[in-house]
Amino acid sequence: MDCNTCDTAPAIVINKPEVVNVNLTITTKAKEMLDSAFDGDMSHALLVGVLSGGCSGYMYDLQIVESTDQDCQELSVDGFRVLVPNASSHLLDGIEIDYVDRMMGGGFKINNPNASSSCGCGESFA
Amino acid sequence: MGIFQLDAYVLIIQGKDRLSFIDGLSTNKVDGDCSTVFTTTAAKIIDLVDVIDMGDFIAIVGHQPYKENLIQHISKRVLNQDISIADISANNSVYLSTEDVDVVDKITKRNTWRGWLLVAPNSVSLEADMTEEDFSEYRVANMIPHQGHEITPNVHPLACGLGDLVHEAKGCYIGQEILARMRSRGRQGKELVRLPNPVEGATTIGVNHSLAIVRLKSGE
Repeated sequence: MDCNTCDTAPAIVINKPEVVNVNLTITTKAKEMLDSAFDGDMSHALLVGVLSGGCSGYMYDLQIVESTDQDCQELSVDGFRVLVPNASSHLLDGIEIDYVDRMMGGGFKINNPNASSSCGCGESFA
Repeated sequence: MGIFQLDAYVLIIQGKDRLSFIDGLSTNKVDGDCSTVFTTTAAKIIDLVDVIDMGDFIAIVGHQPYKENLIQHISKRVLNQDISIADISANNSVYLSTEDVDVVDKITKRNTWRGWLLVAPNSVSLEADMTEEDFSEYRVANMIPHQGHEITPNVHPLACGLGDLVHEAKGCYIGQEILARMRSRGRQGKELVRLPNPVEGATTIGVNHSLAIVRLKSGE
């Protein structure tokens, strides 16, 4: 392979999806769990993102952060500061953040109207 | 036996997330040179590729007719990652050698499960001395599936002899849930076999034997 060709090779244009102004909701149960997780420190924010991969193509990424270097839109939802990366905003508009209790351990669950399918564990969607 | 010229594309992927990006989308553990398979959510094959770690970037080598589907598949999954993709297919030719051969520095050589993969810039001439029939005979003798024959968008990797490229413990990737379930339940449906001629429904026909994908009997 001649690396000189690599520098001049035609780049494949990756079409960035249009940035969407995200609306999202948080269920009562999820609010209770977030209250507990934040422990009153509202200087932090809930980062709701998407990673590529997972069984179905995309994976949710929920984090409590002070800040992020990602290009995000900042929302205020029920008193929580929520950050949504613009790069994945088209996948997250309209989601509901829920919390479910299960015998095998509970966790946050995203109900996503943009998802056509999801994997068994619920962390991945297409 | 010799050197066969593949109908191949070469994409280069740059950016600090290049290995983790490919790892998250394909069946094998990708942390350097390897072969791996991109699959759909239904675990059907998009393409088998060889990953060549060149240090500052990786090259992925796949089957030319499957290129557009692969590009479409991976490019829409670039979100926040540091990734750029370029197509250097027009500047390079790809060969498979059945033996380890000495090559000039400009030719990139990697030992793969199919043989020695050679990526040569167009400025370097390399003689391909194997015919299509020779290559088929080599593949039949060594049970090597190939795109357009055994490896098609209609099958999953376990059915066409690519089970060794489906990592059992790497974690989630697209199609993983289905492949893991097939393995755990022992139900992969079909498998690649080599049978003496004549073979009904052969995917590759050799002189004395042929390859075919056959349905496993219940419980196998």
